[in-house]
Amino acid sequence: MKLILALLSMFLLQSTAQADAEAGKQKAEVCAACHGLDGNSIAPNFPNLAGQTARYIYLQLKDFQKGKRSDPMMSPMAANLTKQDMFDLADWYASQKFNGQNSKKTDANLSNGKKLADAALCTMCHLGGFSGQNEVPRVAGQHYEYIIKQLKDFKYKNRTNDFGNMSAVVKTIEDKDLEDIAAYVSTLH
Amino acid sequence: MTSISKALVLVGSVALAAASATTFAEEIQGGSTTSATAMSSDLRAVTQSRLDAADGEKTNWLQVNGGYSQKRFFPGSQINSSNVANLKPAFIFQTQILESMETAPLVVDGVMYLTTSYNHVHAIDAKTGKEFWHYKHNQGPITVYCCGPNNRGVAALDGKVFMGTLDAKLVALDAKTGGKIWETQIADPELGYSETMAPVAVDGKVLIGTNGGEYGIRGFVKAFDADSGKLLWTFYTIPDKGHEGVWATHDATGRDMHRDIAAEKAMLKKRGGDFYQTLGGGVWMTPAVDQETDTAFFVVGNPSPDLYGDIRPGDNLYTNSMVAVDLNTGAYKWHYQYIAHDVWDLDAVSPVVLTEAKDKSGKVRKVAIHGGKTGHVYVHDRGTGELIRFSDAMVPQDDMWVLPTAEGTRMLPGANGGVEWNPMAVNEDLGLAYAANLHQPMTYHVEASEYPGGKLWLGGAFKVIPGEAQWGRLSAVNINTGKIAWEADTDQPLMGGVLATGGNLVFTGEGNGSFNAYDATTGAKLWSFQAGAGVNAPPTSYMVDGKQYIAVAAGGNTQLNFKRGNSVIVFELP
Repeated sequence: MKLILALLSMFLLQSTAQADAEAGKQKAEVCAACHGLDGNSIAPNFPNLAGQTARYIYLQLKDFQKGKRSDPMMSPMAANLTKQDMFDLADWYASQKFNGQNSKKTDANLSNGKKLADAALCTMCHLGGFSGQNEVPRVAGQHYEYIIKQLKDFKYKNRTNDFGNMSAVVKTIEDKDLEDIAAYVSTLH
Repeated sequence: MTSISKALVLVGSVALAAASATTFAEEIQGGSTTSATAMSSDLRAVTQSRLDAADGEKTNWLQVNGGYSQKRFFPGSQINSSNVANLKPAFIFQTQILESMETAPLVVDGVMYLTTSYNHVHAIDAKTGKEFWHYKHNQGPITVYCCGPNNRGVAALDGKVFMGTLDAKLVALDAKTGGKIWETQIADPELGYSETMAPVAVDGKVLIGTNGGEYGIRGFVKAFDADSGKLLWTFYTIPDKGHEGVWATHDATGRDMHRDIAAEKAMLKKRGGDFYQTLGGGVWMTPAVDQETDTAFFVVGNPSPDLYGDIRPGDNLYTNSMVAVDLNTGAYKWHYQYIAHDVWDLDAVSPVVLTEAKDKSGKVRKVAIHGGKTGHVYVHDRGTGELIRFSDAMVPQDDMWVLPTAEGTRMLPGANGGVEWNPMAVNEDLGLAYAANLHQPMTYHVEASEYPGGKLWLGGAFKVIPGEAQWGRLSAVNINTGKIAWEADTDQPLMGGVLATGGNLVFTGEGNGSFNAYDATTGAKLWSFQAGAGVNAPPTSYMVDGKQYIAVAAGGNTQLNFKRGNSVIVFELP
């Protein structure tokens, strides 16, 4: 009896942690059509979410809901999420594993892309290998098409929930060079 | 299934879940310590009287920067300029964390304390590298850091070691067992507060500053009770009134900063002064302490947002300043501001060093010195803050102080300096301060941006200029004259810090893995070792059983993206 109680109380202590990702898995079922069941999306215009930083996912969902970021598909998806839903979804995708298959663009000037990424000091915020931290997203393993769209959206102010941090960087980079940067990053894992 | 086996199944699934990476909404508590070997009873507690004498310590390395004066000078001369060419590794201690290492290892009675990124602490045998214990901190759900998840080391006092963490806590561990004694929340990480610096322990208090100048925090130095973790006092680096200062138009060296004072005054009238809550002013590195006068000295970081100054009119006191406060109460004593209304992130970070230098009339004075991102070493009177002199520029300067633009304007130094957080070392016999410098030509870009609430807030961007060479420079500065005594250039900008020893030596490491020893008098490079990862941490030295060792971490650096490693390497003579 004591053993059962001890084991059960261990379970209860952990249960808050357990519930988040597990609940997130259920809530993510409606997201699977675009982002894949495990956050590995199948179409390059839908970003991979597997292994993304939880805080970034949470903040984007919040921004979609509040209108600080806008997308014809994501805005309605985020409209009715509660704060707990957002935490749970963020936890779920953050704990998933990227399957190594993203849309890479290899027929670009990758060395130019790397040179420009180094010059723009991207890894100071995105960390080495573009692995991300907190509200600064992981970009390694992301689809080329999605990366270049974000860079151009920041440049042309179609996306403004970056507090100027991204737009100040991309504002003075030619579109063709942005394509090389996005191509370079798409080859990173 | 019976109820027992059901419970077992549940526990099994929980264990699997717990093993996965820490996620956002988990409630994290505690931290865990594992013990490899029991420590012998030779370890004596680091008492206050031992710390009082740490500046002259001939055996141990009791504080990250040597002693309260932070001269980073080890008197031992067993390893010296005639034999350092024979220096070889004694052992390598490999940690679990392959990420930037900025730790300065402490050594107390043959026990070395080192930290890693993400707040692991190891206590190891300083002679053999055998591990005694290993503490892993459980981070809370929010950790923010601008420049890498690194940690610069611990402070030791009365049987405890103290560490600041990425989730803005101060933890006290038992020095012998690594068990956690207390933990206290320093500030709210959701607002951008976090710790990478090493605290300093003095007179029953632990002093620590804060990160966050890139996040719109209100900076501070706090003092906590070493026994209980209770908060004793707070000195805010941003006063609630008067932060607009004197509307200085020129910097500490007399250069025009091109401020539009009229526009700033109009903005202050329009917005009011309550933006002090998000004005920045982090304190990045360990304060120096003068026990004769009960004063703590530190330098304050940049205002927020770094590049966009229009919405923060005024001098933005006490950002970019050296500040002196009362050790017991935190009361303000004096300040000296290097750059008023900084819009270049050329903030004061390298820790203050207390030493002596001649004033302009040749009289020897007690001074407090600082190596700036601006490229100058500043020498102040310790009692009043009066700027006695500033050195010749250690690195190229160009177009200071051209204002940032939307398209980007070039200025030297770049935003990392000059001297970044790298602690200097001082050899008082030679009258030389040794500074590790960066030369990184950059363009400064500005973009209007309102306070985002605990998120990165630069108000623009910095970029390096492809095609313009970047390099580093170890400079020896005569603090009595302000002249450069010698310079040793390196292939890459320097990040890490300097050690000076009584063996006429100066040690510093490079991002390409070279760990070097130089002749302290002439700057000749006498020895170099390839560590296999960036040597970007301050070296330390110590003796065990009559033998001298040099220790340095080789973990690379996030900010400059130098090759990552996971080890502390200890060197000895054959």
